[in-house]
Formats: sequence, structure tokens, C-alpha cells
Amino acid sequence: MIETLADINWRLFAIVTLNGLTLASLYFIVASGFSLIFGLMRVVNMAHGSLYLLGAYVGFEVSEATGSWILGILAAGVVVAAAGAALQVSILSWMQGQDLRQALATIGVSIVAADLMLAQWGGSAYQIALPEAVSTFVPVPVAGRYAMARLMLIGFALVIGVALWLILNRTRIGMLIRAGVDDRRMLEAMGVNVPLVFVGVFAIGAGLAGMAGVIGGSVLSVSPGEDARYLLSSLIVVIVGGMGSIPGAAIGALLVAMAETYGLAYTPTYGIVYTFAIMVAVLAVRPQGLLGRAA
Amino acid sequence: MANDPLLKVEDLHVYYGSSHVLHGLSLEAGTEPLSLVGRNGMGKSTLCQAIMGLVPAARGEVRLGGERLNGRRAYRVARAGVGYVPQGRRVYRSLSVEEHLKLVGKPGGEWTIERIYDTFPRLAERRKNGGGALSGGEQQMLAISRALLLNPRLLVMDEPTEGLAPVIVDHVVEVLREIGRSGVGLLLVEQNLSVATQVSDRIMVMMNGEIALETDAESLLNDRALRNRYLGVAAEA
Repeated sequence: MIETLADINWRLFAIVTLNGLTLASLYFIVASGFSLIFGLMRVVNMAHGSLYLLGAYVGFEVSEATGSWILGILAAGVVVAAAGAALQVSILSWMQGQDLRQALATIGVSIVAADLMLAQWGGSAYQIALPEAVSTFVPVPVAGRYAMARLMLIGFALVIGVALWLILNRTRIGMLIRAGVDDRRMLEAMGVNVPLVFVGVFAIGAGLAGMAGVIGGSVLSVSPGEDARYLLSSLIVVIVGGMGSIPGAAIGALLVAMAETYGLAYTPTYGIVYTFAIMVAVLAVRPQGLLGRAA
Repeated sequence: MANDPLLKVEDLHVYYGSSHVLHGLSLEAGTEPLSLVGRNGMGKSTLCQAIMGLVPAARGEVRLGGERLNGRRAYRVARAGVGYVPQGRRVYRSLSVEEHLKLVGKPGGEWTIERIYDTFPRLAERRKNGGGALSGGEQQMLAISRALLLNPRLLVMDEPTEGLAPVIVDHVVEVLREIGRSGVGLLLVEQNLSVATQVSDRIMVMMNGEIALETDAESLLNDRALRNRYLGVAAEA
């Protein structure tokens, strides 16, 4: 049956759109860290999903213990940033410039981390309790009402996006990162301690994944297997948007999340196909990603 | 120590994989400019990179004023006082001219951002432009400025006139002569013999990863047989 314009359920459409934006926000926060790390260091960090999951568990523990969601997300950001810095210093810095070896090492780390987290937190799903103030529904045009927490997630992603833009374009560390993405050897030849910049950027990227874990664990849920899911989504997002580009991560996250959400809502059987169709189309037409640069 | 030469390279061996690029190269340079000429593929760029710590030396030594450089990471070599102007200029295309200078420049040194703008007014005009939007000549000015802002004791330049228009080449030569007079050591790698001989009196010819000949600008210019033997047709241009 062919729907006419009047028959379209606009309320459902609005809710699906908002769900898509929510998912896009989460994908963006996770993938921006992944893309930042890749852009500067050329490391495909296959443990990025593990950092996400670790952040979710740390956020869960801290917010349970203190009763504060804010403390939970801050703790997750800090702890996971430290874990990321440790990963760079203790493992990846020893194989600098050997991209494949680094990717394989991070796969190893992700497998070990997944088992350690399973041993610690078990196989069941957790939900991180949101503050009372945002556990409500607010009226939204067309959609009727929508969860405040999900709208906040969209806002949070915007804040992160703007903050990253400001850091990259208005600060000295941002200048160093951009120069390093262009030509990291020439950056080092200008007297910049590039290994130190690497550790800092790894910490920022990991911290973003950790905070995303808490948000994802609050709006959705936390359970084993989420690490692989968000690693996969980050990979697709940066392949579509372009490796190393933050605006690319935003566009990629929007495209992938929207395709996934609309697909699941309207053609449930083929939901997952659209994501990969987008990826294949981008790879065929623009292999470096929509906003990526040719290598 | 006071008697140590500014730059001393001794018995330097560098390999790329299994190919032996530098075969026990030795040279000394003071604050007087030194040009290194030679055909393509003789190891000139490799020598620059080995001095900078960008490629590892298998054997031998690089010393700056007696201080051993090799084995250090490139940023430590730069901080020890070696400025590097790479082949192909390699300016950062995501950074504006001003950002390039701010990245390296520190207040209080001999070279400041203001002095750079005085020396290269063209860069001041283009200060908001991205590195990728500059012409070849402007990029070269920027690459030289970036290295000067480190206030180096030695400037290593790898083919700074490559691919530039003749009028721009003349300007670069002027700048290099001025740098040479300012007391900064200059190691200039050049394919363009006319540039090399205008900038420095002392010339070394590299062949097969070694210094094959040390001579002066006048003899090299006046001896056609010598040029043909060491430089072939490439240097006649």
C-alpha cells in the first residue's frame, strides 16, 4: 500500500528523528575521540570500544557510591583518560609508526579488557541512574513529549563539538595537533615534544570515550558487548566522515545513526543494511571519507 | 668546548632497509656557510635527516659544538640548536602563516615574529592565509622563518630553491647570504650550483654517500672538467 502524504504518521516520524539524533550524538562523542587519535597518530585504536565500556562501568560505580551522576561522568572521563594515556605510553609508543602492529596490539588489549570487565561486573546489564531533574519528559512539537535526558544528550554532543572546535582552532595545543596531523615529523623537527603531545591527545580521545560510556549507560544501558558495538560504530562513522576530521565525525555520526534509526523503524528487516550501504557508497565514490583528505 | 667545530660529522653510516646510503661520511663546518652539492640520489637529503635525528644512524657521530646529537629524538636536536628547512618545504597546510610562527616563536630570542615580518613583508601580508594557500616562494619564506624562530646555531637547508621561479631564487639567495653573515651556521644542500656558489665559498661535493671533494666556489665554477666529473649535466642548469 502506498502511503499518501496525509497518511504519514508525523508523530512517529518526529520521535524516530529525535531518536536518531540521540544516537548520532552518542556516536559523535565516541567517534570524535577515535578520529582525533587516528588523525594525529595514525593509530587505529581497536580498544576504543573498551574505553567506552570501562567509562560506563566506572561511571556506574562512582554514581552509585556517591549518588551523583555528575561525579560519575567526571570520574569516568578522568579514569579513562588515564587508561588511554597508559595504553599509549606502555604499549603503543614502543611501536610508533608501525600502524598494523599497533592496531593488532590494541585488539589484544580489547580482548583482555573485555574479559577483565566481565570478571568484575558480570554479564548483566546495568543502567546508570540519571539525576531526578532530567528523568522527566518535556513537551516537544509534533512528537508530543520526549525524554529530557535524551534532549540533554543532544545538547551535550553539541557542547563537545563546539569545545573540540575551539580547542583545535583557538588554543596552542590545538595548533600543535593540527600541525601534527599535517606533518608530525616536521612538528618534531621544530622542537615540539611530539611523544608528549601524543599522550595528551590519546588521553583526550579516551576521556571522550569514557564520558560517552556514562551517557550511553544512562540513556541506554551498559552490558558486555557494548565495546564491540561502539568500536564498530566509530569505525563506520570515521570511514564515512573521513579519518581525523571532527566535522567529518559529526556528519558521519548523523548519517549512520539516522540511517540505522529510520531503517529499524520503517523497514526493520533491512535496518542494518543501510549503514553498510552508506559505507560502501562513500568508499566507492570518496574513499578518504566525506571530509577526509587523500592520504 | 670552545675549540669544537659548530658541526662535526664523523664516519656516519645510514641505511634505508638494506640499502647503504651514507658510507662513513665525515665533515666539519663552522659558522661560515657550507654548501653541499651532488647529483640526485647521492645521499644529501639523508644526511640532513640524519643530522636532524629523523633517520637513525647505524654508526658514526653527529656533534653540535661538541655535543653529541645522534641517538636523540628530533625535537631534542631542534632544541639543541639545529633549525631544519626540509626538501619540499613541508609547511603545515592547516595552519595560517601567523600560527606557523607562533608555534615556534618565543619572546626574547634573536629572531622574533616581528623581525620575521620585517625581513619578509610578504609573510606579514599573508599572515591569515593557510600554509596550503601560499605560493612556492612564500612557502619557502615560511619554512625558513619557522626554522629561524628556533634561534638555531646551525641551519640545515635541503634544496631551498627547488621548484622556485628565478626571481624568487634570487630573493632566497639574498636571505641565505644575510643569514650566513649573521653568525648562524649554514649547511646548504643544493642542486643549483649557481645558488650554492653565491651563498658559500666553501663547497663540498657528495658522491655515493661520501664527501668526494672539498673545494671553493671559484674553482668549481671555473673548472668545467671537474663539474662534469662530479656533477654531470644536472648541475649545469
